[in-house]
Amino acid sequence: MMDPISIAMISDFFHPNVGGVENHIYMLSAKLIHKGHKVIVITHSHAPDRVGVRWLLPSLKVYYIPFLPIASSATLPNFFTSLPYLRTILLREHIHLIHAHASLSSIGHEGILHSHLMGIRTVFTDHSLFGFDDAASILTNKLLAGTLRNVDAVICVSHTGRENTVLRGELFERSEDDPSRLVVRENVYVIPNALVADQFKPGPPRSTETINIIVLSRLAYRKGIDLLVATAPRICAAFPNVKFIVGGDGPKLIDLLQMREKYLLQDRIELLGPVRHGDVRSVLIQGSIFMNTSLTESFGIAILEAACAGLYVVSTKVGGVPEILPEDMISFAAPEEDDVVRAISEAIEIVMAGKHDPLRAHERVRTFYDWEDVATRTEVVYDTVIKSPQMELWERIQRQLGPFAGPIYTIILIVDCVFFLFLEWWMPREDLHYVTHHWDQAKYKEVRSLFACSEISAHNVLD
Amino acid sequence: MTVLVQTPKDWTKILWKRQSFQDNYIPPASFLSSLRRNSNFKPQTYWPLVLLSCAITQHISTIFIFLSIFVWIQQSKLDPRTMVWITGGSSLVGYAIWEVLDSISVKTSERYANRLKALKSSILIFLALMSLTPVLRTLTAATSSDSIWALTSILFILNTLLADYSALKNAGQVQGRLTSVLSMNAAMSASIVLASRLTADIAVFALILFSVQVFTLYPFLRHRLKASSTIIQGTTTMLLSILAVALTASLSWTITFLLSIGLLLITFLAPAFLVWAQKYKNEIRGPWDVAVPKVN
Repeated sequence: MMDPISIAMISDFFHPNVGGVENHIYMLSAKLIHKGHKVIVITHSHAPDRVGVRWLLPSLKVYYIPFLPIASSATLPNFFTSLPYLRTILLREHIHLIHAHASLSSIGHEGILHSHLMGIRTVFTDHSLFGFDDAASILTNKLLAGTLRNVDAVICVSHTGRENTVLRGELFERSEDDPSRLVVRENVYVIPNALVADQFKPGPPRSTETINIIVLSRLAYRKGIDLLVATAPRICAAFPNVKFIVGGDGPKLIDLLQMREKYLLQDRIELLGPVRHGDVRSVLIQGSIFMNTSLTESFGIAILEAACAGLYVVSTKVGGVPEILPEDMISFAAPEEDDVVRAISEAIEIVMAGKHDPLRAHERVRTFYDWEDVATRTEVVYDTVIKSPQMELWERIQRQLGPFAGPIYTIILIVDCVFFLFLEWWMPREDLHYVTHHWDQAKYKEVRSLFACSEISAHNVLD
Repeated sequence: MTVLVQTPKDWTKILWKRQSFQDNYIPPASFLSSLRRNSNFKPQTYWPLVLLSCAITQHISTIFIFLSIFVWIQQSKLDPRTMVWITGGSSLVGYAIWEVLDSISVKTSERYANRLKALKSSILIFLALMSLTPVLRTLTAATSSDSIWALTSILFILNTLLADYSALKNAGQVQGRLTSVLSMNAAMSASIVLASRLTADIAVFALILFSVQVFTLYPFLRHRLKASSTIIQGTTTMLLSILAVALTASLSWTITFLLSIGLLLITFLAPAFLVWAQKYKNEIRGPWDVAVPKVN
């Protein structure tokens, strides 16, 4: 158990948006608050009225900085403009450590870049996988490599994700014993996501006369909807007692509609449209098999939620998916039409023979993943970072980043320092409006015991 | 949480079971074991690349041949009427080669229809050009010649960069991509603005007729030739380069020198450079890549 510290979570992706990263930040913050730390979240504002400072249960303060998102809720990487905001917030909240999330969140990158100026330590969590071969990846990977030169620790959500991040962020250095060998830096951790098992309790037992296959995903190319479009008619033809329930929205919806019309499967394939996160369980418990056809997946929280709700899972074997569940709870398929049909057929047979027990699956998943455990493991990372010596400016400048990007980053670092000194003169620390009151831990525990199910109520508030 | 003590051998790549290793433990054997480097990489060899670069050499040669002809006509060293006859003659030769290549691959009935189509379009182009010549001659009368030279250079550079240098896979299927259409348009615009610098109608007509032949018809033939034997390709490249160098030689020794150096660099040195640069190829593939779905 470490001493309580003040932590700032920084990411472009947070409530009121919904998604894997958003939920991760919220749950981790809540658990860290339970452990006695002070946690705030810094994100960008959302038009029209999600601005300023807000409070979320349980005692989580959120700063919405006035930045305009450009696409998919990400802001432009501009390196300097957030410094005045971040400096004021981090100083007035007496922050010891910032935790940036998601590699496409520029505000997180800027937080890592600026925090060292105030002696604040940095941790970064990467949530996604990227390739190396297209222009966008090359650019964002270089940005990531530049940022991760300055970070004190990196957390990845799966082993595959860590391999990817180590390569993308160039998180390796020459071994001290043998300079010809490259070794990965010691500060790269793997801490998986988790889920609240109570929110995904299996429904009442279902008859095996009709088998519903659930698909819940964004209907986009990366989610492998082409495979779904190709395999669904074949499965419907082979098994007359199988129905599909598809939730989600996206550019590939039109393909699904066309397929349904072409094969006259209107009564066999139900399209629900977008499903809110709070309604996921009610959709999941309508079926007994969950089908995931993603072409890339860092962790696959949707698979876990389905398994927790007692569904048998069929998934393509991509990214970090093979790591998250034991092999007897999930069937894998290669991302090929024939193999997906084979895997689904096997799954239907397993479910029809009653070999899959939903309640037992739920109890097992409950023991696999727990936010409490995630928070404890993250605390270890924080503790190591706080106790490690801080990198000097000269060391940060020296870290090589190639002949082209290297000098640019050095200039950015130096300009950042000058800008910081200017702000120190312009807005002196003595004049800042410091936060003196926060939730008292004793009071917090007292209130929490009153609302024993605060986690669930907090979640309902979020949803 | 109780965990058993494990040795490095026991480490498995799973997240659902807590293992007795620290979260920053890197398994020495299995870390990045699924990383594959240059898996789809086929090393290029020198001579096939030289052969591929022939198309570029041919293209640049034709541009310089065209420019030399323009200068000759402008300086009245070449009679425009002769030029029209030369263009007509070389068109016939080109068409004959096309027919020979067609006779190998295309059916007789189609060939007959194709011939009729070709005849119809050549008459159309001929007449359209004839009627447009007076307009084209005065098109840029208000513009200074310097601007025209600059514009022409830019358009020809655009033409060279965007041209389609690929070989034709299936005979008869000429599918123009957007860039190759743009390239052709750039070349035609360049020749029209150049032609507008000439003084006589017949000279304008001769130059534009020649440009149609060189920049729109010849690339089609080049595609077909590219798919054919090495010897034919080599010979045409040689002939065109020599012609280009010889024609420029009568105008300026500096340009001749630069052109010859340029052609040699493109044909022989650039492929060697590419072969050398391949050792820096580093393509990384792994389980994080977006899988390619295989749909029947």
